[in-house]
Amino acid sequence: MTTSLKHTEQPTLSRRQLLQACLVGGGLAVSGFSLLHWLTAPRLTAHTFIGQAETYDTDLAKLIRQGFQELGITPLEIKGKRILLKPNLVEPHQSLSHINTHPLVVRGAVEAFLSLGATSVVVAEGPGHRHDTLLVLEESGLADVLYEDHISFRDLNTMEGVVMPNLGGQTWMASLTLPRIVKEVDWVVSLAKMKTHHWAGATLSMKNFFGVMPGNYYGWPKNVLHQAGIPQSILDINATLKPHFAIVDGIIGMEGDGPIMGAPVQSGVLVMGRNLPAVDATCCRIMGINPDKIEYLRKADQWLGPIQESLIEQRGESWRTVHRPFALVPEIPAHQGLRSSKL
Amino acid sequence: MIQKQFRHALELLQSWQQPNGGFPYYSGEEARPDATAWAIISMSAFEFDPESCNRGRAYLASQQADDGRVSISVSHPEASWPTPLAIFAWESIPQYQEAQSRAVDYLIGFTGRHFPTPDPSIIGHDTAILGWPWIADTHSWVVPTSLALLALKMVGLSTHPRVIAGQQMLINRQLTDGGWNFGSTTVFMRELHPLPECSAIALQALAATTPIREVKRSLDYLLHELPHLRTPISLGWALLGLGAWGLRPTTTEELVRASLQLQERYGPYPLPSLALLLCAVKASHGLHSLFRSLPQETPVSSIHN
Repeated sequence: MTTSLKHTEQPTLSRRQLLQACLVGGGLAVSGFSLLHWLTAPRLTAHTFIGQAETYDTDLAKLIRQGFQELGITPLEIKGKRILLKPNLVEPHQSLSHINTHPLVVRGAVEAFLSLGATSVVVAEGPGHRHDTLLVLEESGLADVLYEDHISFRDLNTMEGVVMPNLGGQTWMASLTLPRIVKEVDWVVSLAKMKTHHWAGATLSMKNFFGVMPGNYYGWPKNVLHQAGIPQSILDINATLKPHFAIVDGIIGMEGDGPIMGAPVQSGVLVMGRNLPAVDATCCRIMGINPDKIEYLRKADQWLGPIQESLIEQRGESWRTVHRPFALVPEIPAHQGLRSSKL
Repeated sequence: MIQKQFRHALELLQSWQQPNGGFPYYSGEEARPDATAWAIISMSAFEFDPESCNRGRAYLASQQADDGRVSISVSHPEASWPTPLAIFAWESIPQYQEAQSRAVDYLIGFTGRHFPTPDPSIIGHDTAILGWPWIADTHSWVVPTSLALLALKMVGLSTHPRVIAGQQMLINRQLTDGGWNFGSTTVFMRELHPLPECSAIALQALAATTPIREVKRSLDYLLHELPHLRTPISLGWALLGLGAWGLRPTTTEELVRASLQLQERYGPYPLPSLALLLCAVKASHGLHSLFRSLPQETPVSSIHN
């Protein structure tokens, strides 16, 4: 993720503006210094791509390749790379396609990475609620795609862990135990679903990485992370894992009481990018959610990436043209005050 | 006489044993306590290679902490959920009675993080009833509580207060229309979906000590799900869970063979999945019928009563 970050030029300020800024609040030297630092420090920027796909019958591999092109991802960069795709498979139930990353999005991503010369693409997930990962694959429809396309799958819940220092420092956890495979691949890609979430507000590419944490060490559900704080854990995992790319399946997402009990909503988009906070902030705008109100995104801002609209260069569709507010539940505290006030 | 496919599966398990006596989750990986316990339970059920089982038990003993717990790895003592599995693996072996006793003491003294229910409109289940967690200092959930109950009941502690409370916890977490998921009932007033694997393990844990009327709706749910189950964890536990209530399908061996056949599509199963299927074949009346302490025959109950 850090490889994609760029620093903009310093904002242009006139001497008069600068002087005025330093004098605000009584002109205390300390305040003036902090404000000056804030005004002049390089800001993180990123690009995101929004591709429209009304249905899953769209040529999704082509759309993802288009996104790669718009985002500057070339065959030279992908050739020889080992790619891990991490979809969101929570509690599949047959006929409820809005809960999980759709199998055809997984297929499209595999094809796109292979077409750019990836050496291998493996799909891996550690479902948060279920031990029977094979049944999860069957019920989600992903098993058929994996079998037909000869794509390998790894169950992250039961995989041997590697202990890594917690680079986020947002929870009490000094280290995180990640599945061994994350050390054996070159790119980790979040293949998330666009959904509301009754504890976190929204679950997108960053929250999707709860599923990386092995159930053997974190439980079913991954209650260690709940105890440590959901927003804080999201940040710690992302800061430590350093994912390389995200594709969010918003072709059919979930509104209301997500991540399981909500209703389907057709947004008709895939949102992609190298920087996960920027991708998630863009998804939020599409969903009619103010990303500043999502705690983990607010805390990630200018640390793990940008979330301010002015710092995210949009490729493909504009989020305004695909804006479709997701229903929120007033009784759910994590949903309160999330709605963005204007387009 | 062991049927060919089941003997082949047993020989495969046996071949995975490592010089230290432990068994890995997948061939070629390092040995793990949970996989080792499952290998011992299944091979013992078939009276297959007692020497291999004994070496496995010694490995388990080597992994036991001073306080009696058996964790997924020595570097993760908080993940002590394999302890009940070790209690099964040491059952009826005099040499490991002391190790088993210490593991039982650990389970009796170990519980999850419990607290008064904060707001029933947010979390529907009773968060105060003691059960067992997957990981220390987290809440108690259905599967680890069920495994602990099975182990404690197997060693004759069916009337222990922790067992009584654990069973109450499971009953409290049962869903209105039957079944269990990982351990929540309603969240923000919406009832969650049941999951076959969790339902089957909970039914197995409640058998022989709970009136059938209290779980009839869950037995109905699991019987309804059974024809759709092919994967080893859900199918294996479903066969055991139903068997514990005298409802073992007459087609059990056929179903297990079909599940084993699925490996041609999905690749080799991990050891615990293979072992679970083998146990389902051998345990005529649930997992506890493989061991000595509990009644070997649960009265066949008509769930339509």
